[in-house]
Amino acid sequence: MYKKISISDLSSLLLGTLIFLFFVLFYSFHLHYQEQYQLFLFTFDYFFQRVMQPGGFSNYLGSFFTQFYFYPWLGSLIIAVMLVLLQRILFATAQNLRAEKNMFVLSFFPGLMYWGLLCDENYLLGGLVSILLISLTNYLYTFSKSGLVKMLFIFFGIPLLYLVSGGSVIFFFLFVFIMEIKEKNRSWKFLFLFYFLGISLIVVIPFLLKNILGMFPPVRTFVGVDYFRYPINFPLVVGAIGFLLVLMPFLSTFLSNRGFSQKRTVVFVQIFTLFLFGGWFMNKSVDFKREEIMEYDFYVRMRKWEEIIQKAEAKAPQSPLSVTCLNLALGKEGLLGDRMFEFYQNGVDGLIPDFTKDFTIPMVAGEVYYHLGFINTAQRFSFEAMEALPDYQKSVRTIKRLAETSLINGNYVLSRKYLKILQHTFYYRKWAIYFERALNSEEIIDRHPEYGLLRRVKLDRDFFFSGEEKDMMLGIMLSEKKSKLAFEYLMAYCLLNKDIQHFVQYFPLGESLSYFAIPRHYQEALIYAWDVSKSNVVKEIPYNINNQIKSSLNAYKRIYTSQSDPQNLLRDDFADTYWYYFHFRN
Amino acid sequence: MKGLVFSIISFLMLLNGACQGEKTVVQEKDEYPHIFPDYVGVTIPLGIAPLNFRIELDSVFRSELNIQNSSGQNIVVKSGKNISIPIDEWKHLLKTSKGDSLMFHLDINRKGTWFRFSPFPVYVSRDSIDYGLSYRLIAPGYEIYSKMGIYQRSLNDFEQNAIVENTLFQGSCMNCHCYKQTSADNMSLHIRGPQGGTVLLKEGNLNVLDTKTKETLSNCVYPYWHPSGNYIAYSVNKTQQTFHAAHEKRIEVFDHASDIVVYDIKNNALFSCDQLQSDNHMETFPAFSPDGKSLFFCSAQVDSLPLQIENIKYSLLRIAFNPETGKFGPSVDTLFNAAGLDKTVSFPRPSYDGRFIMFTSFDYGNFSIWHQEADLWLYDTETGVNRPLDELNSDQTESYHSWSSNSRWIVFSSRRQNGLYTMPFIAHIDEQGNPGKPFLLPQEDPDYYDMTFYSFNVPEFINGPVDMDLDELEKTVNSEHIQVVFGRSND
Repeated sequence: MYKKISISDLSSLLLGTLIFLFFVLFYSFHLHYQEQYQLFLFTFDYFFQRVMQPGGFSNYLGSFFTQFYFYPWLGSLIIAVMLVLLQRILFATAQNLRAEKNMFVLSFFPGLMYWGLLCDENYLLGGLVSILLISLTNYLYTFSKSGLVKMLFIFFGIPLLYLVSGGSVIFFFLFVFIMEIKEKNRSWKFLFLFYFLGISLIVVIPFLLKNILGMFPPVRTFVGVDYFRYPINFPLVVGAIGFLLVLMPFLSTFLSNRGFSQKRTVVFVQIFTLFLFGGWFMNKSVDFKREEIMEYDFYVRMRKWEEIIQKAEAKAPQSPLSVTCLNLALGKEGLLGDRMFEFYQNGVDGLIPDFTKDFTIPMVAGEVYYHLGFINTAQRFSFEAMEALPDYQKSVRTIKRLAETSLINGNYVLSRKYLKILQHTFYYRKWAIYFERALNSEEIIDRHPEYGLLRRVKLDRDFFFSGEEKDMMLGIMLSEKKSKLAFEYLMAYCLLNKDIQHFVQYFPLGESLSYFAIPRHYQEALIYAWDVSKSNVVKEIPYNINNQIKSSLNAYKRIYTSQSDPQNLLRDDFADTYWYYFHFRN
Repeated sequence: MKGLVFSIISFLMLLNGACQGEKTVVQEKDEYPHIFPDYVGVTIPLGIAPLNFRIELDSVFRSELNIQNSSGQNIVVKSGKNISIPIDEWKHLLKTSKGDSLMFHLDINRKGTWFRFSPFPVYVSRDSIDYGLSYRLIAPGYEIYSKMGIYQRSLNDFEQNAIVENTLFQGSCMNCHCYKQTSADNMSLHIRGPQGGTVLLKEGNLNVLDTKTKETLSNCVYPYWHPSGNYIAYSVNKTQQTFHAAHEKRIEVFDHASDIVVYDIKNNALFSCDQLQSDNHMETFPAFSPDGKSLFFCSAQVDSLPLQIENIKYSLLRIAFNPETGKFGPSVDTLFNAAGLDKTVSFPRPSYDGRFIMFTSFDYGNFSIWHQEADLWLYDTETGVNRPLDELNSDQTESYHSWSSNSRWIVFSSRRQNGLYTMPFIAHIDEQGNPGKPFLLPQEDPDYYDMTFYSFNVPEFINGPVDMDLDELEKTVNSEHIQVVFGRSND
């Protein structure tokens, strides 16, 4: 039995395993990221809307599979199977064209390249589905022998493929074009009719269907499939992969016909090229920094505050969005005042990012406002993030947030609308059904650990939102609700802004909150402020400052005031203090 | 094995029978059924699409609907929770029910027990209605917009198609579609964005205008066609929006300044007058009278914004207009001093028979859609009586509205279903200005409004399908636009 498994089969298995392990172990948060920015609904209307545009069926299938990315192992498996399938179809196509088996490595190139593309979160799975369908059609075409069948392939295949795979249909036509040119028995009459029909259909069908299957500019009408999240970008690399799909089987045949005597060398050269090219391409494609940001964002989405802190302890986050997530986690765990300067801080933007017209920053900023109790603002940011999606999709994460915020605001009718929509999804269905029932019971909502809490701390007093006056907004929130998180954010805002004066002024607002001791960074700021003011009226600082912090400040001062380049000397022992941030962080 | 299959089938049939219950026993309910949309007691036009609805009760296994007119003709629909009335039979029934009442007899099987609700009436008016509606579909968002477009919908059936979608022009927004007294051949709409301009469709001719001039505040905004088709009145506004931190009102949209200009289509020129361009007042929402000899508009005193936004109160005014000379009259009449009632008004829309002016009244500002208290009011030009239309209003926003060409129907946008998503309601208004109970635009699937992500924005009646040549539109929008000039001030 084992003898039947060839080296090419094993290689495919190896490729699949590698892809699967890569996404599961190293790139799973990219999958979560993708999953949240679409809303796949099991409804006929959704199917109809997605399918009725050029390449719509591929988009639909791509979205269908993407919804399973919620489970990274399943998402990784789907990607691995699809890419292996692509490789196997190509290999089989080449074999149908009488390529030798030892040319099997060439069939790995397109799949490998698409693997690289999928490492970019803006490349969507529908593109791969489209390419796969084209490859499959090319493969099936290699079985056709009679002229009539080939004509039927062209006549029905091109319109159908345009509908299901969009502009990728050109790679089908190029394939059959080359295949027929190579066919020696064809009469010129047949070839003329065949090519005329093919070219006419390729040109005429998009032209005829323009503004009927959706309203798009000419290029987008032809491209059809959402290979890339930004439809304005022409997916050149996909085009290159498409050409490889066409050429690779013929190249395999061509090289096979050369009759190389050193079969092993041929395989070795192919493998070497594959590794060289693959390594370069993957290296260019993989972005672990973005994976890290996505990991932080996912943990925020799942309220995994401890995981965020543990991750930051292992490696301090550097990107602004990761810092925002970390600060939120610290705040939720009541550690912002004690630990925030243990980590890199990038000013107030890392606390609450400003609104931008894109789909990532408002989503994360909206999380901060949500947990602070600015429910209207959280709802707005989330909604705007969804509307900013350039591929005109809706976001399941946003719809869930809209259901939540409406529920917290007590607008049950509106919440029910969003919950009903979510009931047509795969993963969120149970959650939506439960909460639709819970809408009938105020008690369930009030007792809910998150929604109940947010109902109690949510802002009731109205004013106009001002992104430039976040401290004022936090102050209003604090004066109204005595929320510990709002207090920590207000204090952190002043500290990050190096606004010691307002920090000291606002500090007493936290007296009624449940602190056993003044958080460390607050102590550092208070004693520093006291020291700078050199108050003669009261000799003793009126705050309970830890003696260790007092002596630490003295040590810090000694170096800071006596050395010409104190930063380097202070970094080792004081980089996690507020004083160091105050003096050396811009 | 066969025995097992037989047993299972028998059991399932038994279960099915038990679930459905025998209809020989029916419990009478002395109440109307709770249905969505609420079609109980509404007045409908002859040509309206079937009133498909959903029964708003749990555990509905089966339902039977019997729609009868007074001459005994009827339709029977056997269904479940959602009821879809066959369109051909419905049309036939409507044809024979002009001026009659249809009685909807609904029996519902819940958990095996049949209930019979009180039959509810639906009144079929003798007044005809236009071909369809045109509206913008847009998610009720804030600053950013995703896919949106201007659509048209036949009232006779459920067919909706796009006149133009913003996917055609990447990154664009579309708004302020407007027709000359419901004429589908005469349309104006704005495309905002990199290739933005004002699209003018006049008797089949398509042009794209650049309406910003150095003499005016902005591009042209709120439009209204002159009945002659020679002019379009526009507002020009300097608009800003801000967001409520904690309020049922999410957004506040307001003008810092605004004027009214009239676009002379033949001469490609804008003109205005001092009364419509005053420095200490903001003028907006223009609307010509049906005879074309008056221009209605809203005006408020300038104040510091947004802090004093609650002081901004627009009143309804009128100025004479001579369509022959393009000159305005010397004085401005106040038709409704809203400030006196501590109110503000927007969207004055005269009925085409000249008898009424419908407008939206709310507490302050000019952007009624984000004001929950916004209600429709009717001004009777014969009696001078101004009154809120309680028959049409709800405790949620009622905002944009427009008249049918025969002035017997009104379509208006309302957020009454969930407080956020705007939906189009149609109501009959008789010669004396008495409205019937409004009905929500019927959809083939009664769950449509639950599942949609869009608001129906600025619903307008149209007398036929809009024939927009999209290739021509694309070409014209992407070419150089016609620059409008500011010709003169016509005092």
